[in-house]
Amino acid sequence: MVWPIAAVVLCWLAPGWNWWFPAGPSGTGAAMSPLGERIDDLFYMILIITTVTFVGTQIGLGYVLFTGARRSDQPEDAEGEKAWFSHGSHNLEVVWSIVPAAVLLFIALYQMEVWAEYRVQDAFPKQVIRTGPLAEVTARQFEWRIRYPGVDAEGNPLELKPDPQPTDLYTVNDLRLPSSQPVMIWLRSEDVQHSFFLPELRVKQDAVPGLVIPVWFEAIKSTEYSMLCAELCGWGHYKMKSRLVATPEDEWRVWLQELQVEQNYDGVSDESNDE
Amino acid sequence: MVQCTSIKVSEGWQQTEVLLVRLGQCIIGLAVLLTIAGCGAQKAEFNNREDINVLIPEAQDHVREVLATHFGQPTRMVLWERMPVHYHGASGVFAENAATAGKTLSKLNVTLTEENLPIEEGQELAWISGKYLGQPNPHVVSFDATASQVGIEPGLAEPPGAGDRFAIAPGEVLIHGRILYAEHCQHCHGVSGDGNGPTAKYLNPRPRDYRLGKFKFKSTSSSAKATRDDLSRIIEEGIPGTYMPSFKLLKEEENRAIVEYVRWLAMRGEVEFKLIQALKNDYSNEAVASQVASARESDSTLSASAAREKVVADLNEYLTGDWQEEFNDDTKFQAEQWVQAEEPSALVIPKLARVPDTPESRAHGRELYLSAKAKCATCHGDSGLGDGSQTLSVQKNPATNADYDTPGLFDDWGNPVKPRNLTRGIYRGGRRPLDLYRRIHAGISGTPMPAFGTVLKDEEIWDIVNYVMNIPFEARDRQPGSGAGTSGAGAPEVATTR
Repeated sequence: MVWPIAAVVLCWLAPGWNWWFPAGPSGTGAAMSPLGERIDDLFYMILIITTVTFVGTQIGLGYVLFTGARRSDQPEDAEGEKAWFSHGSHNLEVVWSIVPAAVLLFIALYQMEVWAEYRVQDAFPKQVIRTGPLAEVTARQFEWRIRYPGVDAEGNPLELKPDPQPTDLYTVNDLRLPSSQPVMIWLRSEDVQHSFFLPELRVKQDAVPGLVIPVWFEAIKSTEYSMLCAELCGWGHYKMKSRLVATPEDEWRVWLQELQVEQNYDGVSDESNDE
Repeated sequence: MVQCTSIKVSEGWQQTEVLLVRLGQCIIGLAVLLTIAGCGAQKAEFNNREDINVLIPEAQDHVREVLATHFGQPTRMVLWERMPVHYHGASGVFAENAATAGKTLSKLNVTLTEENLPIEEGQELAWISGKYLGQPNPHVVSFDATASQVGIEPGLAEPPGAGDRFAIAPGEVLIHGRILYAEHCQHCHGVSGDGNGPTAKYLNPRPRDYRLGKFKFKSTSSSAKATRDDLSRIIEEGIPGTYMPSFKLLKEEENRAIVEYVRWLAMRGEVEFKLIQALKNDYSNEAVASQVASARESDSTLSASAAREKVVADLNEYLTGDWQEEFNDDTKFQAEQWVQAEEPSALVIPKLARVPDTPESRAHGRELYLSAKAKCATCHGDSGLGDGSQTLSVQKNPATNADYDTPGLFDDWGNPVKPRNLTRGIYRGGRRPLDLYRRIHAGISGTPMPAFGTVLKDEEIWDIVNYVMNIPFEARDRQPGSGAGTSGAGAPEVATTR
């Protein structure tokens, strides 16, 4: 009896000890994106279903073991109850096939919308389709190289083209995007398979060599998030820890303009001309 | 601990069972041993350059001794003050402190010369010179930056002499650097910075060997050393096109500590390299053997060991005499070079702003690129693919003046190098116009890429920069089937100039 009780107590206490989702900027481990919240809802729903099933079946198992131990398989034994062999019961087989199947089917149908919104381009938010990708993230052993479109004479971001352009801007291990709005990136890999992972935003997408994969997400809060590689990509896999910095859109635009000035620096134009 | 040898199986099944048990023990024992040993554990000890082995053992011992006295080992570091490394949290000299009759002095007026870490309570204050040298070190209890006053515990009976030197948090920057280096860098760059850590053998290009004191991507003139900022930038941004990744998430303080440790390793390596070079002429195994042979030729009664002893005596005489001064001068000069690199005058700064990136400028850049004056195409190829004629010819080793065994280009570390393929748009030393300007103006240290600062005028360098920065787009536009609207403005004109 000690272990089940310890297990329940531990599960109860674990979130308080930060043994749950990474606390992140929310401090509680809550998802930092609207879609992430829905993914978390799905996760908790499945957790509840499996917990009820697990606890229920364990209680059932305990009951059977406890009562079955008193029975005998000897028909002559009049004192104890006669054991009942359920093996081959057609009704039982039907019940425990149909009930889990129905549960699984429910889960499969229930999560479909979230999945579609996350992965199917037709279901992406209208806004990201309209604005297009704001950056191209290329994974390589062992860092993230990021390409942004340049800015035009008025300081507005240009359109990101599939091929590099002379106006493009670059950073490494430092993805910066506007917060509080859905944004899209293109994900590529230069060498092996990597996985683009934003734990606080509940985004995880493999980067596959030869493919350009659109990924969208929305950071609720303007802050710094972790950006990791979630696919063992070589001996330096652990070195691929980097950051996503979400800022309000106007700040992001200013940052992009500053990046352009920095990237075109010729060592002569003095700071006052660089504004 | 575990025995797994000599068990006779002839005694039947009983023995076999024992054998199986023993085998199990062996596996467990082996697993325990492997866990303790790890796979290829690195000793936290500096190793010597391989070419130390050309020296006679007596000379080798001397090299090891010099390195041990002036640099120590990673875990027992010697902070040699001659080398311009930010070792300490802070350092400075004491200002005038009035004597306090009878009372202990616990607040000291100081002049800080170097402040690398914030001064905090609990840090050690070490005496570097003056009457308290050798006395127990007090601890910092307070620091007033405006009054430039350090509070210490325990206080002093008498004030330290004005001008006496001290360090706060002695060696802590270097120690921090060593710990971070061991965590992030050592597995490729090696304990001694020889670019030969356990993961190095999987990498092409090879990790940098710091021990020549040369770094390729720097902002200083061709013969100058790299600056702290240069190294810091490489750690932060990585080197695209190589295995050097970006360590952007390191805090600035951590980045700076690694830079100091790397510079220290480079200085140690340089001292070692120069020492071996200096002794190689007269005291290599070969040189000593020929000296012994010629001595015996002139005096046939001389035995081989006596002749050799005489050479060793010469060596000892040299090491206790002239060598001391030579070593002092050499290392002072070396330290001076690192100091000079930090001065603004060492930086390569264009006198002229970048020439506007027009088709005419690029066309002129292309002309220069192919010209005999700039000779870019001889290595980088007519279309920038890095396949110029020099890559196929046999080159001379500038150090020995002998031909290399294989055709192609080599760097100062003896590794084959390929001229950069300029069509790929990957710029190892950074992609700002200024970075490309510096590569052309000052060349790339340690590689066959020469400095053109004296040959080419600023306008000409900028024209080449404009052309080179456009090569990736020009190359793409030449490819059949490349999409319309992806070209950089004016690229086709440039492509048809010739």
